[in-house]
Amino acid sequence: MADVVFFALMVVAVGGAIIALEAREIVYGAVGLAGSFFGVAALFFLLDAPFVAVFQIIVYIGAVAILILFTVMLVRQERWLKDASFSVGQLAGILTAGATAVALILAFSAAKLWEVTPSSNPPDFLGIGQLISTEFAPALQVLALVLAASVLGAITLAKVDREEKVKA
Amino acid sequence: MADASPYILITALIASLMLIGANALYPQQGSVFGSLLSYDRLGGFFGVVTLLVTLFVTVSSVVVTNERPNAPLYYSLLSFTALGMLILSYAADLLMLFIAWELMSLPTYALAGFEKRRAQSNEAAAKYAIIGALSSAIILYAISLTYGFAGTTQIAPAVRAIASQPFNPLASTAILLFVVGFGFKMSIVPFHMWAPDAYEGAPPTISTLLAAATKKAGFVAAIRVLLAVTTVYAVTQNPVFSTANVFAVLALVTMTLGNIAALTQKSMTRLLAYSSIAQAGYILIGFVMYAYSTGVGGYQQEAIIGMTGSLFHVLNHAVMKGAAFLVASLVLFKLRRADVQAYGGLARRMPVSAFTLTVAFLALAGVPPLSGFWSKVLLFLSVLNGPYSWLAVAGILNSAFSMGFYAWIIKRMYMDESETTEKVNESTGFVVVFAVAVALIIGLGIFPGPAIAFAQNAIPTIFAR
Repeated sequence: MADVVFFALMVVAVGGAIIALEAREIVYGAVGLAGSFFGVAALFFLLDAPFVAVFQIIVYIGAVAILILFTVMLVRQERWLKDASFSVGQLAGILTAGATAVALILAFSAAKLWEVTPSSNPPDFLGIGQLISTEFAPALQVLALVLAASVLGAITLAKVDREEKVKA
Repeated sequence: MADASPYILITALIASLMLIGANALYPQQGSVFGSLLSYDRLGGFFGVVTLLVTLFVTVSSVVVTNERPNAPLYYSLLSFTALGMLILSYAADLLMLFIAWELMSLPTYALAGFEKRRAQSNEAAAKYAIIGALSSAIILYAISLTYGFAGTTQIAPAVRAIASQPFNPLASTAILLFVVGFGFKMSIVPFHMWAPDAYEGAPPTISTLLAAATKKAGFVAAIRVLLAVTTVYAVTQNPVFSTANVFAVLALVTMTLGNIAALTQKSMTRLLAYSSIAQAGYILIGFVMYAYSTGVGGYQQEAIIGMTGSLFHVLNHAVMKGAAFLVASLVLFKLRRADVQAYGGLARRMPVSAFTLTVAFLALAGVPPLSGFWSKVLLFLSVLNGPYSWLAVAGILNSAFSMGFYAWIIKRMYMDESETTEKVNESTGFVVVFAVAVALIIGLGIFPGPAIAFAQNAIPTIFAR
């Protein structure tokens, strides 16, 4: 039963990602992305990691996907992508991805992961919180800098260069 | 618009350089911030290299960003990248390494697209961001596999855990993913495709940062994780696929392809990008002997010479390539041209720039008595004895070959006639950086001793077990 659910969720996650990349209308793409996030979140539930799963839903589906939809609504543009014909590069990409997938499957099956017994005590929220605030506290602080840097990067890309506009 | 932000950053960079320099001279081993960062000379070495390049970039950017409204954002992003590279240099934990990697990379994606109205800059930023995100994802995958074996994200215990699993296909996969992930940033063939496009499209001062600094950060990550793992772990049972052989082939392909591709370029930034790829191949030569020596035993002397050469070449390449890219920046800024034709007769129009580029090119080709000569001598010496002597031959042939396009540009600058002989005002910030870079290249060429000692001291602490 768990196997069937696992494969179904995998189809949702991968299918959603493909729709997100290939959709001609960005709205469909955003919805596909949300679907992919949902599939991944459900996979985390299945893997006994409810903490990560809940975060996945709150942050990625609740915030990221909704933000993208809002942006799409604010910036009205009919077609975001020009019709791209099938190219050699695309074929090469698909072949490389396929080869990588096969190689990973071979490596994972050769490693006999099913013989590994999972740890009996799954991580709890308290333990994660304690680790973050003690041993990994410096990492958390640097992570805050990463967020600050990405916000600055976003501002740089979004802010209008007024003087340049005058020159142009 | 007078703007204080570059000067604040310059002050901060000089202060941190002095602090790290003092620590490098009088080091205290140990770890700070719990066990996430290690306080060793390898970190100090790469800290000095990356901060020096960032300082070069900042000083010369002052003129370029002077008239732009977004200048403060430019310098704050630059400072975040510098901090990311610094933390990465000292990282002793895979988690910290990854976060520092992101802190280094994210601002550069925005910086590459800083000239928003230039389509080429946008394309470069998009390409660089996508490839960068891919490499980050690959590194994260490798880290999660490593955590699966080791149950810890500490680099040293994780290395021991991988080493205790002989011929596990998943461990090999993790190592391979590390090679690919770091290889993108180091722009090693076959993971180099993004580099010429990104360097050409990004604002050239930012290309300087990408080629001379963030690339070196990729090398420190590779030394800390990859080299530490591969020296204790054989990827497959087949001796043909030993890690030393893999590094040797990567080094050969990277330097040869980089030099051949550089020969055919019409644009200066693309030429520099390919030459930068070739130089990554030379740096890899030192890795070969190190991996071989720890794998087989013996050849300790050669291994140390090789790693010293690698680290010394990292420092030299940062200065040489930084100077060369900044000359290209100034030419692009003043003449609005990046094609090789624009360099005809440059010696009469911009004498300081032409001289700097000449010195940098001669050093890149490995002409004595410049700094690049000594690091190449060390690298080629290390493989001369033992099974990889063909790599030394290939390296020398490559250097001679690369002299072809370097000399061609130098000839253009000094012998050819330009369309006009009108003098171009060379901005003070650039001239200062050029003077420091030329002084370093010539100074380290005549007195290489202290720098070689500095590089050599950084080696033994790589594998604190």
